[in-house]
Amino acid sequence: MPRTSEKRTVDMQVIGDWVEPGARVLDLGCGQGALLHYLVQSKQVSAVGVDLDFAKVTACVRRGLCAHQGDMTRFMRDFPEKHFDRVICSRTVQELADPAAVILEALRVGRAVTVGFVNHGFWKNRLNALLQGSKIRNEVYTTEWFESRPSNPVTVLDFERFCGAKGIRIARRAHLAGDWRTPCAALPNLLAGYALYDLAR
Amino acid sequence: MTDDQENVTPAPETARHLAPGDVGLVTPRDFVHREPFTFRSGQTLPGFTLRYETYGGLNAARDNVIVICHALSGDHHCAGWHTPQDRKPGWWNNLIGAGKAVDTRRFFVVCANVLGGCQGSSGPSSLNAETGRPHGTTFPFVTIRDMVRAQKLLLDHLGVTGVHAVVGGSMGGMQALQFAIEYPRLVRRVLAMATTGRESAQAIAFNEVGRQAIMQDPAWNRGDYQRDGGPRVGLAIARMMAHITYVSDASMDRKFGRRKKDTAAPEAYTFDLQFEVESYLRHQGQSFINRFDANSYLYITRALDQFDLEEGGLTLEQAFAPVEAETLVVGFTSDWLFPPAQNRRLALALLRAGKRASYAELATDLGHDSFLLESEDLYALVRAFLEREGTEPVNYEI
Repeated sequence: MPRTSEKRTVDMQVIGDWVEPGARVLDLGCGQGALLHYLVQSKQVSAVGVDLDFAKVTACVRRGLCAHQGDMTRFMRDFPEKHFDRVICSRTVQELADPAAVILEALRVGRAVTVGFVNHGFWKNRLNALLQGSKIRNEVYTTEWFESRPSNPVTVLDFERFCGAKGIRIARRAHLAGDWRTPCAALPNLLAGYALYDLAR
Repeated sequence: MTDDQENVTPAPETARHLAPGDVGLVTPRDFVHREPFTFRSGQTLPGFTLRYETYGGLNAARDNVIVICHALSGDHHCAGWHTPQDRKPGWWNNLIGAGKAVDTRRFFVVCANVLGGCQGSSGPSSLNAETGRPHGTTFPFVTIRDMVRAQKLLLDHLGVTGVHAVVGGSMGGMQALQFAIEYPRLVRRVLAMATTGRESAQAIAFNEVGRQAIMQDPAWNRGDYQRDGGPRVGLAIARMMAHITYVSDASMDRKFGRRKKDTAAPEAYTFDLQFEVESYLRHQGQSFINRFDANSYLYITRALDQFDLEEGGLTLEQAFAPVEAETLVVGFTSDWLFPPAQNRRLALALLRAGKRASYAELATDLGHDSFLLESEDLYALVRAFLEREGTEPVNYEI
């Protein structure tokens, strides 16, 4: 199994641990629905995904998931407060044009919000910038800059500052080491490869 | 729905009906309901006929059924060929067949001409047994719900115990949604494309222009005319105008641009045929009057206009409350008659009502009729929805 898909599985397990069985879950940027499919199988959630891409929505439908093709913020505006038990934004937040608006809207329509992202402050990422002087390319960042979507190099420190500034309560956090498996106990901004946050208002 | 030749895959002249995957030669049948039927309007008929076609085989449980609902000018002939000499196959032949997106090896497909139609089902052009003359405008007013209730009686007649999916575009999508509301325990999936829960003022306005073209034609005679007569000019104009609403600026421009007919008069200062698009629309109008009844056009456009899931102050969520089916709504980016936003709105309301619903939006530039498009992307989506997990294995009855 390639290392990236192994990492994806770890990510899904942490999110799965936080999801209440039978919850109504919205996944922002659901892709082909791998995470939602896992949550339906393991936690019997009632799942909805949002994605911009027709082929990805087709893949979700093929998996038996409900999916909605369109803009995630526009989608959420059509729902009343706390309609979803949990809104998930996994590996999407760094690519959003207006991440604050999306997270705040997710906190309106969801009782809880899970955000997961690759920590750009991880020491290898810092070292890469320092030594290579080029865009990072590894098993996480697989593409050249000119074939990549625009991406914010968000870090653990940045994200916690954002939550503080917006008065967002961090109910749980999970920092994983560079292998995305071992819990990272100390200095997460430097030593965590991946970060997950469970947010509430 | 247009009579557009472009939607037809060219096949060799000989034995086109034997093309792989096609359902082949098909024969329409008539379901005659011999009990009184009360319309939503309160008007009644002593009975009615629905002309329908079926493809594929019913399984032992009699529940592998896919109901196809047609649009305003469509009919029961949605796949296959009536004779080897037919100019073209059924209107959704690209979607329905063995191994196609609606797979007739797996599903039993039923499609009926709607009540109020003119292709063999009871409608204003069918004969009133009491007078021996066509009903004309004495035919009861028809609603989308009446159409659906009549089709349910057909399904009962066929001994259907469960419907795997109801599938339709445009007015067919309205019927599909109404099916799920009216018979929640029967319908397991709904696939509604290029549709709406209520027409906009603009869509009603276009229908009204069509109706006026018919009713202002002296030959309409308040709906009292013989079968091969009637307001042919008015109906042709209605069709020409409506046709424009089924396509798009981009697709018309690509197809015709400002090209002139070869036969056009050399000087421009004439009202004779000049542009290819004029010739095309005239052809659309002429071919339509040979197959469609003007009174049916009035009745069915009225049914379209009156369809309103939010009627009586209901919210869409309230309207969808009874639904138990999983729903997939598909909008098309260039559809300006029933635009993507109106399709999206249906899926969102279903989700808010706690139902299982998906929305997909296909990028096309062909306008409202995009649902008839030959598109591998659309086929993949339709197949994914109809065959997705949760589909019970089918035991075929030979």
